[in-house]
Amino acid sequence: MANILAVVEHRQGAVRDITYELLTFGRKLAEKTDGKLTGVLLGHNVDNLTDNLKKHVHRLIVADHDVFKDFNGDVYQQALADIIKKENPFLTLIGNTAFGIDFCPSLATHLGVPFTTDCIDAEIADSGIRVTRQLYDGKMDTHMKLSESPSYMLTMRSGTCPAEEGNLSAEMQKIESPITTQPSYKKFIEYIEAAVGDVDITKADVLVGVGRGIKEQANLSMVEDFAKAIGGVVACSRPIVDANWLPKDRQVGSSGKTVKPKLYIAVGISGAFQHIAGMKNADTIIAINKDSNAPIFNEADYGIVDDLFKVLPALKSKIMELKK
Amino acid sequence: MNFDLTNDQKMLQEEVRKYAQTELAPLAPEIDKSGEFPWASIKKMAQLGLLGVIVPEQYGGSGFDFVSLAIAIEEISRACASTGVIVAVNNSLTTYPIVQFGSEEQKKKYLPSLCNGQKIGAFGLTEPNAGSDVAGMESTAKLDGGHYILNGTKRFITNGGEAGTFVVFAYTNRELKHKGISAFIVERDTPGFSLGNHEDLMGIRATANCELIFEDVKVPKENILGNEGDGFKICMNTLDVSRIDIGAQAVGIAQASLDEAVKYSKERKAFGQPVCNFQMIQSMIADMATQIQAARLLVHYAGYCKDKGMQRFSKESAMSKYYASDIAVDVARKAVQIHGGYGYSKDYTVERLYRDAKILELYEGTSEVQKIVIARELTR
Amino acid sequence: MDLIVCIKRVPQTAEAEVRVDSSGKDIVKDRLTFDMNEADTYALEAAILLKEKFGGTITAISLGVADAEDTLRIALAKGADSAVRIKAEDFGELDGFKTAALLKEVIKDIKFDAIFTGCMATDDSYYQVGPVLAEMLGVPHATLVSKVEVSEEKVRVNRELEGGLIEHLEMSLPAVFAVQTGINEPRYASLIAIRRAAGKEIKILGKEDIPVETKTNSTLEELFVPPVGKRAEILTGSADEVAARTAGIIKEKGLI
Repeated sequence: MANILAVVEHRQGAVRDITYELLTFGRKLAEKTDGKLTGVLLGHNVDNLTDNLKKHVHRLIVADHDVFKDFNGDVYQQALADIIKKENPFLTLIGNTAFGIDFCPSLATHLGVPFTTDCIDAEIADSGIRVTRQLYDGKMDTHMKLSESPSYMLTMRSGTCPAEEGNLSAEMQKIESPITTQPSYKKFIEYIEAAVGDVDITKADVLVGVGRGIKEQANLSMVEDFAKAIGGVVACSRPIVDANWLPKDRQVGSSGKTVKPKLYIAVGISGAFQHIAGMKNADTIIAINKDSNAPIFNEADYGIVDDLFKVLPALKSKIMELKK
Repeated sequence: MNFDLTNDQKMLQEEVRKYAQTELAPLAPEIDKSGEFPWASIKKMAQLGLLGVIVPEQYGGSGFDFVSLAIAIEEISRACASTGVIVAVNNSLTTYPIVQFGSEEQKKKYLPSLCNGQKIGAFGLTEPNAGSDVAGMESTAKLDGGHYILNGTKRFITNGGEAGTFVVFAYTNRELKHKGISAFIVERDTPGFSLGNHEDLMGIRATANCELIFEDVKVPKENILGNEGDGFKICMNTLDVSRIDIGAQAVGIAQASLDEAVKYSKERKAFGQPVCNFQMIQSMIADMATQIQAARLLVHYAGYCKDKGMQRFSKESAMSKYYASDIAVDVARKAVQIHGGYGYSKDYTVERLYRDAKILELYEGTSEVQKIVIARELTR
Repeated sequence: MDLIVCIKRVPQTAEAEVRVDSSGKDIVKDRLTFDMNEADTYALEAAILLKEKFGGTITAISLGVADAEDTLRIALAKGADSAVRIKAEDFGELDGFKTAALLKEVIKDIKFDAIFTGCMATDDSYYQVGPVLAEMLGVPHATLVSKVEVSEEKVRVNRELEGGLIEHLEMSLPAVFAVQTGINEPRYASLIAIRRAAGKEIKILGKEDIPVETKTNSTLEELFVPPVGKRAEILTGSADEVAARTAGIIKEKGLI
């Protein structure tokens, strides 16, 4: 019987999608062994969040305190250390997000619990845990066995287990917060919203996403022309922003914007999972890439394996013809 | 016998490659098209120490040897042939003769600004009626008090349109034939100096290749390199060094051609399979790779001869330049061939590489001149 | 300020073909180029910028095989003052946890104000070394760091969250910062610096120097090419034909 604990991730008053993915995944894993899934919600004035959460877990632990008003990895670490020691779960699940990654490795180390990060799957095997992870820019998968232990901790990559509707009605257990002040050495000050640029890519119906494949900044103008022809907006993957070719507000992906356009045309984007995370919910995805093995073709609806510098101008002229 | 690069050469190669592939390669097609002299890249390369690779540190240089210079030129040229020759000219045709033949005052005065990117150098040797035949030059410099009065026209001068410091050759005494030629350091802002035609070249199009016109240019007496009559010796010794770098440039262009050809042959499919599976393509690729390896070894060996302090390495230097330029043109041609019709299109890098390669057989001594140098060394 | 930067030499796989080797547990590496892990280049630059402002020293440490010394030398050329290689060949299978444990054994004897690491390595994608190292050393940390601004007694730290949101923290030193990519412009090493660094000694530490028992959290069982998921319908033909079909599809969807 494997009892599983999952940490609820929420920010600025809203539960984040990764939470429901974790809870769906955790519940399935727990129920396979007749175990229970317990959710842990650390927050302040979060009563409005609990109704939906309760549908996804067998039990919901809530610590309500203003120390949890905003996120501080060290506060989470200290509170969770206390809760995990008391609960003694077989497995603790955390999202592999900016939130989870800031406390899971140090928390597990602190507790002496074997852990690993950025898993895309996990199973209970031979009374231990076996995970699937991705290596080498997503080009390889690996199976890894965690060292034998009564307790484990994992962070799960977002988007690897689709969230399902919950049908449980968990009991809720309010606990005293194990921690009441932020540590003096690490204090949360504020969230700073991303600068708003001239274009809001989250509002566009058609996005043309560009990646490393466009080779150089000068080629952006060709993509801009194409986007204009199709009535869309240019977005991009992280390397383009790192190179300062486009502003941060055009970035699609886990560290950029999540978009849901009617049409996403991925141009020269190989499809790192961080990028996929931001655009996979587009209605239609068309990918143009020279490399037939590029992971983007596993997400796209239509793929063109060819030189983007040949395809894009051709596509532009066909679209212009159809517009006439 | 040891083929290993030293630690610093290995690091230089890695770092220059990274810089050139990241920063220079993306600009190469642009400046090929526009012909714009890449000043921004030059300033950056100055910071990295690429403009005075062999110049001693006390004059603002990097203090590396000639093999290292060849490695740097190869990597820069692999990314952008225009930038490669701009840098080669500054290093081996401008700073080198000043380091080797200049007085202490000249070194202090001219080397720092050529190393720090304030100025770029050029080499004024070729004339409208004197290329391979150096002694056929018509430029003259007459001593008049504290100055030489310089008259003449130089043609096909790489960096000419943008350079601030020129090493210029002219007769101080025509009677003495080649022994009457002298070398001068001439600054751009000297009255009487002007630019002539800007050459519209087939390749290396961003090199500010320009005609230089000297009309009663008053060059201070102290700007003579060495003594009166040393010019021919300085010129020949300088070309011995610079030909190694043209060899390196050739290896860089050839390597870029091979890189493109291999990549394309794996991507391009015909008759249901990648064209790299076809023996005719494989034959070309094998030839190209072998030619490049041989050329690179010749270039490194010539640099090694210079570094070792060999007095005469004209043969080694000429061999490296002759062979490397010969194979660079051939390798670039094969790269175009492997690309088929696409290779003839400006959409593909090999089209530029083929144009860029051709100059290698022509400048700093044509291939025919190299063969004369080699044969003369063997028969003298 | 005395700073430590942890650096990893990794194969550059973003644009390369990656294959499993005969052991089934590693990739074929002979055709790959290796370089400093991308996030580590930003970590190093962040440390150099601090050293330029406040003075002090930078120690670069890498757990790796002999080639890692090339990467450490580049770090020396860019601005590190000393370098240490921990002999990976002495320590068997590694994961993020064990890497951090070995780094800690070396770092515990060094005085430092801050440690910089990349937030993750592109080869094993762990996101672990920085925070685990901090925990083991008993100092605070921040991950996915996009800015470290040091003023008197106070360090302003920005973390990059999803959606471009920034988490602004105030931290005290010493601390560990696991740095995100794109946060500065990593410099190239100048030739003079390369020449000076080439001769510098790199301290090499092996099993006899680090005689503690370190364990991994996990064991790699097998490596395999990811199974293909929902596969796109691949449109074939000349660029023109493909373009025509694509345009047709876009029109069908009512987007033209």
